Amino acid sequence: MFAARAEIVANVWKIVAREGDQVGVGDVLAVLESMKMEIPVYAEASGFVSKVLVEVGQIVQEGDPLIEIDESHA
Amino acid sequence: MTQLDTPSVVSAPDQADHRTTLTQRRQDRFARVEPKGKRVFTARERAEMLVDDGSFVEMTPLRTAGGGAGSGVVAGWGTTDGHAVVVVSHDAAVASGAIGAVMADAIMKAQRFAIDKGYPIVYINDSGGARIHDGIFALHGCGGIFANNIEAQQRIPQISLIIGPCAGAAAYSPALTDWTIMVKEQGQMFLTGPEIVKAATGEDASAEDIGGSALHTKVSGVAHLEVDNEEEAFHATRLLLSFLPTHKGGPQKRHSSVPANPGAVERLPGLVPDKSSVVFDMNALLDGVLDNGARLELMPTHAPSILTLFGRLDGHAVGILANQPNSRGGILDAKASVKAARFVEFCGRFDLPVLTFVDVPGFLPGTVEEGRGVITHGAKLLKAYVETKSPKLTVVVRKAYGGAYIAMGSASLGADVNWAWSGSEIAVMGPGGAVALLHRRALKAAEEPTKLRDELAAVYREEVARPYIAAEAGIVDDVILPEETRDRMAAALRMLTHESSI
Repeated sequence: MFAARAEIVANVWKIVAREGDQVGVGDVLAVLESMKMEIPVYAEASGFVSKVLVEVGQIVQEGDPLIEIDESHA
Repeated sequence: MTQLDTPSVVSAPDQADHRTTLTQRRQDRFARVEPKGKRVFTARERAEMLVDDGSFVEMTPLRTAGGGAGSGVVAGWGTTDGHAVVVVSHDAAVASGAIGAVMADAIMKAQRFAIDKGYPIVYINDSGGARIHDGIFALHGCGGIFANNIEAQQRIPQISLIIGPCAGAAAYSPALTDWTIMVKEQGQMFLTGPEIVKAATGEDASAEDIGGSALHTKVSGVAHLEVDNEEEAFHATRLLLSFLPTHKGGPQKRHSSVPANPGAVERLPGLVPDKSSVVFDMNALLDGVLDNGARLELMPTHAPSILTLFGRLDGHAVGILANQPNSRGGILDAKASVKAARFVEFCGRFDLPVLTFVDVPGFLPGTVEEGRGVITHGAKLLKAYVETKSPKLTVVVRKAYGGAYIAMGSASLGADVNWAWSGSEIAVMGPGGAVALLHRRALKAAEEPTKLRDELAAVYREEVARPYIAAEAGIVDDVILPEETRDRMAAALRMLTHESSI
């Protein structure tokens, strides 16, 4: 199991990945908004999106898990 | 002839005796002891590999700490790319490289040589720290090494390689040097090893957990580069030395000018997205400006929202500082400030020109960063720029807001020449934030606040934030196009380094 995490305190602006999606390394899973910058959250592992842990508009802290990827089905 | 050989000209029996004795002595001392654990090379082999082939000369090779073994360190000098360098290589085959009184004295002798003669020094660290058997004499020796490290800071570049488990004094000395390079899974740095940690606090942690290269190059920032093996560590050291003068005040390294990467040059005018919120890779921008080829990024995985690297422009060795929008939007925070300040301070100390490429949304505010002391750490960056007297060239490539505008090598902090790209924005804050503050009442009363905000932001961007206001006031020297950057910087460097061929 791999969790894509927020690299900065931010507002969740867009969620691109949906549960069940197959994703590869480097795919954009979500976009955060912080300091007026659109900050993409990339998949660092391939697999299936097993859980989306946040909602659009939610405030996340640095290090918070956002999206879980199940690597066992890669 | 290597140091092992003794000339075999024998003219009389009494001469044969002392020649044989020396040969025997050398054979004993230079006998190869098979390296233990993950180590591949002996201390002497490491020193020889670091420098140009055949150039290593050992200082006091016959010195001993007793028991027929060596002093615990192979110290000497050689050249890298023809430039002299002093090398200190811990000998893990003697008491696990533990620093006793004799070893410390041998290291201090090499340090003194480097400081007095003005040569960079490379420490190849592979030591468990102070030698317990030597008691206070070991501690006194370690303290002496530290004192020399600190004296050397104002005189010569110091580079530390971490090629084995380094505890205590063997970890502190690197922290007093300029750049530390760690070999992955082979080198560790910690105050004390896993057993003593367990005894002291009860924490169960492996050597990698408390002092591995992943921890120190990503999280703590104690080390500045992670490499895969010993050969790579020597290669990186040679590359690093290729950008540095041998000592403070010494001549800067000059190479032939190499044009920037042609593909990157072609992409440069359209590289930066117009929309200031969209990220891009600053490395691609640097590729379109700097000389193609030799480049060394330090601390690539620690606070990656700012890039710190050595490279060349028109053949001049330069230090480059650049915001990286691709990482955390390119913000400055406490860690990024410390990283940047340390780099600028180093460049200033050794007279390296500092090139600053700015696209910064600001200092990251909030409870976490304030708790980390972002004000104190951000102030270090301001101080580093002001105190740096080497040539400072700054270009705003997209946006520079507020305190971060000032901190990124602005005119007020003493930039010799500074430019702004024609599409850039310089303001106290970004259009969105400024409009929200300036037009709070109008926005509150508006039927369509979002629409009004966007309109007001567009007006602000054009009328307040564009670089012409700064250029008309002379705070920015000129507004330029991306493709003009390289030539402008090269011309400024020629002027600032007193090169005659302007």
